[in-house]
Amino acid sequence: MAMIHNRSRHRLTAYSLILPFVAIFALVFGYPVIEVIRMSFTDAPLIGEGEWVGWDNYKRLFSDRLFYTSVINNGYFVLLTVVPTTVIALMISLAVNRLSGRMQALALVFFFTPYVLPVSVVTQIWAWMLDFQFGILQPVLEFFTGKPVPVFKNPFWVMPAVALVTIWWTNGFNVLLFIAGLRNIPEELYEAAKLDGATRRQLFFRVTWPLLWPVTALVLTLQLILQLKIFDQVYLLSEGGPFNSSYVLLLMVYREAFQLNNGGYAAAVSLVLFLLIVVISVLQFQLLRVGGKDK
Amino acid sequence: MSGVKLTNVRKSFGGHDVIRDVSLEVPKGDFGVFVGPSGCGKSTLLRMIAGLEETSGGKIEIGGRNVTAVEPAQRGVAMVFQSYALYPHLSVAENMGFSLRLSRAPRAEREEKVREAARILQLTDHLDKKPSALSGGQRQRVAIGRAIVREPDVFLFDEPLSNLDAELRVQMRLELTRLHRQIGATMIYVTHDQVEAMTLADDIFVLKGGHVMQSGRPLSLYDDPDNRFVAGFIGSPAMNFVDAVVSDSDDSGFTARAEEGELRVALQGPKPGAGTQLVLGVRPEHLEPLETGGLPVKVEVAEELGGNSYVHSRSASGKDIVFERRGNRESLEGRDLQLSAPADKVFAFTPEGERLR
Repeated sequence: MAMIHNRSRHRLTAYSLILPFVAIFALVFGYPVIEVIRMSFTDAPLIGEGEWVGWDNYKRLFSDRLFYTSVINNGYFVLLTVVPTTVIALMISLAVNRLSGRMQALALVFFFTPYVLPVSVVTQIWAWMLDFQFGILQPVLEFFTGKPVPVFKNPFWVMPAVALVTIWWTNGFNVLLFIAGLRNIPEELYEAAKLDGATRRQLFFRVTWPLLWPVTALVLTLQLILQLKIFDQVYLLSEGGPFNSSYVLLLMVYREAFQLNNGGYAAAVSLVLFLLIVVISVLQFQLLRVGGKDK
Repeated sequence: MSGVKLTNVRKSFGGHDVIRDVSLEVPKGDFGVFVGPSGCGKSTLLRMIAGLEETSGGKIEIGGRNVTAVEPAQRGVAMVFQSYALYPHLSVAENMGFSLRLSRAPRAEREEKVREAARILQLTDHLDKKPSALSGGQRQRVAIGRAIVREPDVFLFDEPLSNLDAELRVQMRLELTRLHRQIGATMIYVTHDQVEAMTLADDIFVLKGGHVMQSGRPLSLYDDPDNRFVAGFIGSPAMNFVDAVVSDSDDSGFTARAEEGELRVALQGPKPGAGTQLVLGVRPEHLEPLETGGLPVKVEVAEELGGNSYVHSRSASGKDIVFERRGNRESLEGRDLQLSAPADKVFAFTPEGERLR
């Protein structure tokens, strides 16, 4: 009897401990999600109720050319950022890891500082640096292209420029993750490999890379989720232009909901984006895990 | 296969000398053991031989070849680390064949060598497992297997048994001795455990503060230590030391007063004059309770080990004096005794720790 009594008390304690979290989570996440799903089947404005319209919003969405432009731009942005930022972070962390104590801390501070800045400051800095008339980076562009380029007003340059800003801004965090991963690899493994006759190249590809793979998979997945949600930088630097060449899904949500007052339609777009992120990131993580196991 | 010879080897870390002028030789095919308390530089010295630490001065030769400035992989040495340093993402077979994989040796040769090493170490059933699925002793054997596969001239062991439990340690100690007989390669082994040193070594090198205090065969170090440090370090339980003053000397040795008692010391060389301050050392197995003469002590506790027992007693000045008894079951606890030892089993040291011979 005592056992049973104890167990039910045990369960009661457990429920009472998780209840506050579940309640708050239901209020600020569960409820809005259900509301968004419901809203996406109505023609509601941003505030107030609307008529039930069934699948109309989705039908409209899949025949909306701007939606496809946005999906493609999102994909292009992911290509421009996820793998490059991971590779760059890995290379920086390998370099920083070779520095000794104090210098390493200093280098980490340098690489991490941009991450601390708010997005508006970051975009302002780069808007100045790449300013068509006064930007100090214009001579560099001029050197390669022969003439100054208004990067945020040029359909070819705008996405790579936003990607560059994003990588500069967020790379420090990935460097930290990689540094933590590198520090977890015991020095003795390298010593043993050196005695076994490993070259620098072999040390990296046979020891560092396989042992760092879990961290790499994590960074890739986090980056994918983060970069699919691109909004602030585009909104602040190019507002989706020129000619919608930097129009992305979240920008579309924002326009439809807050500027065109189409709450229902915006809800449908954001749900599609949500499903896209879930499917792609789960898929990617699974793929990376399988890839890691083969090594 | 070849021996290892160090000549005036030095190592300093940022102005701090860790190894000061070490010269030693481990002959070809011998089992050499570096032993000493922690911080004595024994691991550093081993890592210098491996090439993992740079040498600040002096010369390291392996098989007559000067390797002081040679890359670790080209020295013909293999090392077994205290932490085993197995690659967690590779199987046992891949771990053991790693060096051959790196040098792109043919697959057949690699598999053959791994199989042979696995046979010697009884790892054949575990070749496909990951290191995380193995016990400590098995991991240790994989690490040794990785060394065997490389067929090095010299095996280096850096405290390889200190992460194992006591029983396994004894077993692995025997296996290492057997392995050494089987392979016949030169081996250098670092440990802080003098029992491991005594049981494994052909030659022991006792290190302290970056110096070799004494080297030689285990029993010669035990029977004939050069100084107080080696006398106290080798042997378990440790040698008893008492302060003494010389009272009288003759042709065969001298008599000294110590702890309100008297000990007779045999000495061949020059005898110290009366009144000289000395330290006398006697091993527990050489002390014997007598009716009269010797050192007066009061017995406190006895550690009964069955065949023998170690009796802890206290001298007049409060020093812990340990002596061994064999086959005697009668309890001595709380009794006052006189302890004495044969004159040729009592060692005399200067207060600075040098042995008088």
